[in-house]
Amino acid sequence: MIEKDISKYKKMFSEYTELRIQENRNCAIAVVNGDIMGNNRSSESGVSARVYKKGVWGFSSNPTISDETVQTVIKAATENALYLNDRERRDKPPLPVSIGTAEKDFMTDKKRKTQKEMIDFLKEINAYIGRTYNDLTARTTVYRCLEMEKALLTSEGSHAYSMVPRSIIYTSLSLTKDGQPFELYEVFGGFGQFEDLFIKPEDFYEKIDTQYEHLKKKSEGVYAKAGLADCIFGTDLAGILSHEAIGHTVEADIVQGGSIAANYLNKEVANPNITMIDYAHTAMGKLCPIPVFVDDEGTKAEDAVLIENGILKTFMHNKESAQHFGVKPTGNARAYTYSDEPIIRMRNTAIVPGKDKLSDMIASIDDGYYLMQASNGQADSTSEFMFGIVKGYEIKNGKLGKGIKDTTISGVAFEMLKTISMISDDMSWSCGGMCGKKQLIPVGMGGPAVKCKVNIGGK
Amino acid sequence: MKTDRELVKYCIERMLQKGAKKAQCYLKFNKKHELNVDAGEMTLLRTTFDTSILFKAIINDQKGDLKINKMDKDSLDSAIDQVIELAQSSRPDKANDIADKQLPKEFTAGREEADLDVMYDRLHDFVLYEKEHYPQTMIEQSIVDFTQSNIIIQNSNGVDFAGNRGLYSFSVMFTSKEGEKASSFNYSGCSMKELDKPLHEYSSIDMLLKQSSEQIHTSAFPGKIVGDVIITPDCLSSFIYYVTAYLYDYALISGSSIYKDKLNEKIAHETLTLHSDPRSPEIAKNYFFTRDGFEAQNMTIIDKGVLKSFLLSQYGANKTGKPKAVNSGGCYIVEPGTAAFEEMVSSIDKGLLLCRFSGGNPSDNGDFSGVAKNSYLIENGKITKAVNETMIAGNLAEMIKNIVNISKERIDYGSEIYPWIQVKGITVSGK
Repeated sequence: MIEKDISKYKKMFSEYTELRIQENRNCAIAVVNGDIMGNNRSSESGVSARVYKKGVWGFSSNPTISDETVQTVIKAATENALYLNDRERRDKPPLPVSIGTAEKDFMTDKKRKTQKEMIDFLKEINAYIGRTYNDLTARTTVYRCLEMEKALLTSEGSHAYSMVPRSIIYTSLSLTKDGQPFELYEVFGGFGQFEDLFIKPEDFYEKIDTQYEHLKKKSEGVYAKAGLADCIFGTDLAGILSHEAIGHTVEADIVQGGSIAANYLNKEVANPNITMIDYAHTAMGKLCPIPVFVDDEGTKAEDAVLIENGILKTFMHNKESAQHFGVKPTGNARAYTYSDEPIIRMRNTAIVPGKDKLSDMIASIDDGYYLMQASNGQADSTSEFMFGIVKGYEIKNGKLGKGIKDTTISGVAFEMLKTISMISDDMSWSCGGMCGKKQLIPVGMGGPAVKCKVNIGGK
Repeated sequence: MKTDRELVKYCIERMLQKGAKKAQCYLKFNKKHELNVDAGEMTLLRTTFDTSILFKAIINDQKGDLKINKMDKDSLDSAIDQVIELAQSSRPDKANDIADKQLPKEFTAGREEADLDVMYDRLHDFVLYEKEHYPQTMIEQSIVDFTQSNIIIQNSNGVDFAGNRGLYSFSVMFTSKEGEKASSFNYSGCSMKELDKPLHEYSSIDMLLKQSSEQIHTSAFPGKIVGDVIITPDCLSSFIYYVTAYLYDYALISGSSIYKDKLNEKIAHETLTLHSDPRSPEIAKNYFFTRDGFEAQNMTIIDKGVLKSFLLSQYGANKTGKPKAVNSGGCYIVEPGTAAFEEMVSSIDKGLLLCRFSGGNPSDNGDFSGVAKNSYLIENGKITKAVNETMIAGNLAEMIKNIVNISKERIDYGSEIYPWIQVKGITVSGK
């Protein structure tokens, strides 16, 4: 646990300075075919300072948290800023002032589970899979927890404390059919701690039964037919679409680096029914998976309405990019560990739900696909995207048909968004993975199901 | 505790006192200087110090692992109590073990301290060079760093290794624009012991920068073929990663690896030889020992098409009954072929020069599909135009059997060395 109030260090600042003390705590347990392959804990904590001087930054960090090292990192960060300023002479004006304060501690108030209790929980789920399904070649159950605890102080007067936990249970099932291996995974959990999210192993059994059924259908399934197809993106896929294909192209640093989105501000980029938001902490009255109240530059975090009724309205900003574009910072500057500097990151990015029913959307397609889960996704500065699809079904004459084997879809996001013709009235969040940029960071992504046209890879 | 070695020894002894039957401790210090260019401007200088100490305790075949980044006695004692508790809460697995005693050694490579002024000058000159020679190309981000790392690993069997390494790294990511048209982004990087030449002269950097502006204007790949693709060294890195993933612990323990029963069998064309050489003087980003306490040795993974080694750790080898690898993988070197790159191009009537692959993770059976990025159409023996929205699909196991040619030219990334590889039987389809 770190000290929540670090205001005593303000007297050490001589330039624009951000001081952050942070601890990340991780836990991982992996059970493969009944054996415990992983049983790990880690913690990583320390102090860092970032100093701004006329258009350049200096940064320094140290794993020891003490009055002496705080002074050392502030001094080193200041010297680094002065070193670069001496050489670069950018002579930029001061950054926009943006002050935020918050104290948000989401530590569970329940009695903490021991490692043994968590291992027993995982083993029980793994054993259920083993005794229920004897045709599986492998069964994997993994628990991962990340607690990010931060205290921030800036020379402008921002001060914030947060402890944000994320807990995930991941199950993977494998079987072989006709000599070919097939695998399907499922992710459970999200914001919160083990004690908040995982009550008893039996709560998982129905979901695992469904996962097994999907795997069987995939193994008996067909290759998707290559070419442009009418598709329904399930909620998980719509979340990746929001994050990968659109979100990254409208991060202001990517825009400054050459993203095609620079051309589209205040222009129509999507069907007029599409609104897409990077939520700071609360969406539709509920807390988001990765709530950010004050970002790591000290800016009060606010929602960034990226696309409103089909029009690209804004980019996601830190202070420096906000100054460049002449707008307010949105609170998107986030750092992963104490030794990372804040960079522009998404928080909780989602398409806002519409009015259609998923069943009507499926019924509206004569020949197409219902794509439910992606293994990964990548996008380009051109907004061309690719998602690996690991769970999906044919749609024939308005009804779900055979399962499909792994495939890939691709498209140009700012063209594909215009093909969206129906949006479901429900939504779900996922936050199982990590977004990779210069640093990793946990993000939330979500959305409703959407009907669109997309290029499918086939075999 | 006077020295770091004594500190690690103290941790091993205390784990044993607290009930561990076997104990291992891995201590790492990192000091990093890092200069960053964002959107074409040098804007950030970072200096960071990191410490990590990884404890492994085994009690009655039950294992616990714990990592902290504090070095004071209270933190160490608390961590040792926790790792003992972790091991006690686990389940017995006879595959859990630590390395046998080996001759104690200390290894050193690279310089001890960063030369910050040289780092600045090289990056500054690179930014000027890029702007002058490639005015349509924007550096989205570029980083030069120097990391000095000091590692000590000891265990209760008497393993005692120390490794000290200083290494520069350079990476750059860029996009080209003309009016409202933009290329796909591209990137590359390399590692080196000294910054003894201009940064654009390392690895494939200058070649990729030159290509970037060519990729602003793209055409659709005409139609669909099942044919020849030349995989560039930058792109080959992804495919080597995909293939070797089948050789590591998880794929072999879970039984999902397509190569689980293929040791000493032919899995690739006889022209393919893949080494993992962490001790080679050719590899700047080398390593000296594995995280499970074995001195690393060079090894050949695929020898003239025959699978000669898995990449199993001690645990994975004990678990599967298959032989342990003599290193942890990485530091890959693909032996050169006999064909010149230009000869490979001229042998193709219609095909693809695959420069970057944006794809889904391959299926357990090796099937892969994805988008060809920054890639070119080959027609009548010539590279004719950059392509857009081009999908490729194939099967990894088949692909490495279907190698047609390997180039005699190679690119040295400091961490890996790769040639161009021509394969047949890949499905390529335009929009």
